[in-house]
Amino acid sequence: MEDRQFRLRVTYGKTGRLAMLSHLEVTHALERIVRRSGLPFALSCGFSPHTKMAFGSALPVGIGGACEIFDLTLDDYVAPAKALEALRKSAPVDMMPVAAEYVEPSAKAASVANPFSMYEARFDSPVAGFEYPPQVEVVRKKKAKTLEVSDYLVGEPVLDGCVMRFQLQSKDTGSLRPDVFVKSMRLSCADGDGSLGPDPVPDGPAVRSITRTAQSPTRL
Amino acid sequence: MAATNCVWGDIEPLLPLVERPSRYIGGEWVAGACEGERCAGVERETDEGAACTVDREARGQDGFSFCMIYPDTYELGQPNQALRILVNVVNAAGGMHAERAFLPAVDMIGLMRERGIPLFSLESFRPVRDFDVVGITMPHELAATNVLEVLDLAGIPLRAQDRAQEDPIVVGGGPCALNPEPYAPFFDAITIGEGEEATPELLRCIREARRRGASRDEILLAMAKVPGTYVPSLYDPVPEDEAQKEGRWVKPSAEGVPEVVFKRVFEGFAESDAWEPMTVPYMEIVHDRLNVEILRGCARGCRFCQAGMMYRPVRERSADDIVSAVRRGIEQTGYEEVSLTSLSSTDHSQIREILTRLNAEFADSGVRVSIPSQRLDSFGVDMATLVAGRKKGGLTFAPEAGTQRLRDVINKNVTKDDLMAAAHDAMEAGWRRMKLYFMIGLPTETDEDLVGIAEMANEAYEEMKASTPADQRGSLRLGISVNVFVPKSQTPFQWDGQISPDEAARRVAVIRQNLRYRAITLSYHAPKTSLVEAVMSRGGREVADVVEAAWRNGARFDAWTELFDEQAWAAAFNETGVDAQAIAETSYDSSHAMPWAHISCGADEGFLARERELAYQGVTTEDCTFGDCSLCGVCPSLRVANVLQDVRGVR
Repeated sequence: MEDRQFRLRVTYGKTGRLAMLSHLEVTHALERIVRRSGLPFALSCGFSPHTKMAFGSALPVGIGGACEIFDLTLDDYVAPAKALEALRKSAPVDMMPVAAEYVEPSAKAASVANPFSMYEARFDSPVAGFEYPPQVEVVRKKKAKTLEVSDYLVGEPVLDGCVMRFQLQSKDTGSLRPDVFVKSMRLSCADGDGSLGPDPVPDGPAVRSITRTAQSPTRL
Repeated sequence: MAATNCVWGDIEPLLPLVERPSRYIGGEWVAGACEGERCAGVERETDEGAACTVDREARGQDGFSFCMIYPDTYELGQPNQALRILVNVVNAAGGMHAERAFLPAVDMIGLMRERGIPLFSLESFRPVRDFDVVGITMPHELAATNVLEVLDLAGIPLRAQDRAQEDPIVVGGGPCALNPEPYAPFFDAITIGEGEEATPELLRCIREARRRGASRDEILLAMAKVPGTYVPSLYDPVPEDEAQKEGRWVKPSAEGVPEVVFKRVFEGFAESDAWEPMTVPYMEIVHDRLNVEILRGCARGCRFCQAGMMYRPVRERSADDIVSAVRRGIEQTGYEEVSLTSLSSTDHSQIREILTRLNAEFADSGVRVSIPSQRLDSFGVDMATLVAGRKKGGLTFAPEAGTQRLRDVINKNVTKDDLMAAAHDAMEAGWRRMKLYFMIGLPTETDEDLVGIAEMANEAYEEMKASTPADQRGSLRLGISVNVFVPKSQTPFQWDGQISPDEAARRVAVIRQNLRYRAITLSYHAPKTSLVEAVMSRGGREVADVVEAAWRNGARFDAWTELFDEQAWAAAFNETGVDAQAIAETSYDSSHAMPWAHISCGADEGFLARERELAYQGVTTEDCTFGDCSLCGVCPSLRVANVLQDVRGVR
């Protein structure tokens, strides 16, 4: 075997009901997809060897993704199209790899490669307007923390009927969860008088799903 | 069957509101299934078109459907071997299909009840009550109230007598079927023993009866004639004096219904493929690994052990079958660990060959091989070392009793020397942690035996120290796990009572006082649940009323320590006037007819009584797979035999 190893970056979807998986569950499922694929995956050294994989930034439970990534280290070169085919054959439909390409060993880790994420929130009825607070309180490791929305939100959310698109940037110091951001908003209905309701809105638009539709090293 | 009535649309909005939503989404990878059926309940186009061998016709609306239920949450139920086996055999039978369901966790149950959403299957998300047949396994004594929770959440009347023509036929099975009486009114039928053949037979019987338009009563009568099937409603209880005279507490009320129901044995086990389709969960479950059952049955003859009686005779699969199954299972599931399961895996006559071949097969692939329990001797440690690799967790042994006298009583054929040799070899091989299982309250136990447990632990720890380099002794740990003996039906100790909770606490204290080292930790099972376990294990049909009352008082998830509701059970015993202590703690003469006398796992009662007598004399009985036949009666009465691949005990 050659000493060289190959780093394959795979793009996959976290769709349908599998949006309900936690990041840990996703990583386990991806490891099993890789093991089933029969690709020449590399193993880590140590007392309990495991497949050498690195995962993209985590999505919260309930948030889907159209272009999630993971890096897989291979002990031998396999043409990307062939590797993709092998992975697709062993993947469930809702966690389907859609692209695979080799990246340089020096490339940034999958988890920090794409700090900019575009999200799409779908509501059960059209949204006419919104207002978000300047700060959002979150609890991390049992400690309350205040996040400045402007540190994370890139541009302004855009409305399109039942859909709202917004871009968030993750920082070294942390990130604002898309579901937390959406929950912090006050929304108004399209068919109402256009005024923003109290928080929370009793019969206002309810969020149906949130999906990460794109992620990138630079602003989208 | 009612028209397809998918409840996914009702479930989906609840998922963000509950803990661990992956319990409820299904859609898992099904390893070993044909191409089009790769994900549970998710249709997928095949590249080859119609290459699928599954009877797709059966999945249409007119198909005959079976829902197999484990009465606890997904992470506990999904690894259950019976669930996997029965879903597979029904799907392979043709003209019928099987799905799975589990009891949701308490938070989800609350939301479902609030919104009127019934219990659903994980493949098609159909209400369980829309299935033709519902199977519920009874895995242990603390699952009884969960059986009622399952039925109620499904919208199926709790008692068989209240079910209407269109309600599903509810079939039970599993270990607790060996004393079915406390569950009797809740099931239409109960399968005794192994279900590989019995379940498809029973389903065919129901399907044919339904097709000819038979009434529910007619269907039950037909089912009672399928060997191994107990239909409780076709047996009338008799008064105690008559029961003792006749030797049985119930008698058939219809013609052609057997007086004694014998367990089923899957005779083809040894020759069958050790690899079969397996669902690979998304959620982290207990025993999250590939399971390959390498042998079934154990004839060591521990006198407290129900599994030993339930799964006789011993049947070994061949080394070739097992090695091939592990290879295919690992390839198709993507698991990185395989467990070679059975009641006593190191007893397999080819175990050294199997482990050696698997080691060669999986060298450098990161696949771990494990065996669920170690035989308590040097050979056990030798086998554990073969598969341990470089990472050594803990080794677990079960001496069960603290003195040789009591180990002879229970027929646990291990000695203190075996334990010391095992401790020595394990430390030499690099292990630093050991765990020892003991029982308290075994028949004839005295304080001397309790002190013996502590002494054995002390000496084992001293041996561990002596066999470990001085600079590593600080990491040595010895865990002692103590459980209260629960008398089990169909065993030589079925007539022996359990000790009271207060006495159990006292006996645990005796052990604790005699432990000499801080590196030894003692843990024990709360005796509160032990009483309920013993009542469920030994009670008659009257206990069913207690179960229902306890459930109505709020008892459910009794096996979850934090959810066990002692008050609900205490009130239930009060309301029904059933004396829990009497059921749990009374010892009887061996001639006493017990409530399960109409159920047989093949061993004759003469054998059980004889074994009990030998126990009291401290005389041991040999394992028939290593030595002479112990005349238990299973082979002649069920017309079966042990199947060994080679001579046992040759190292």
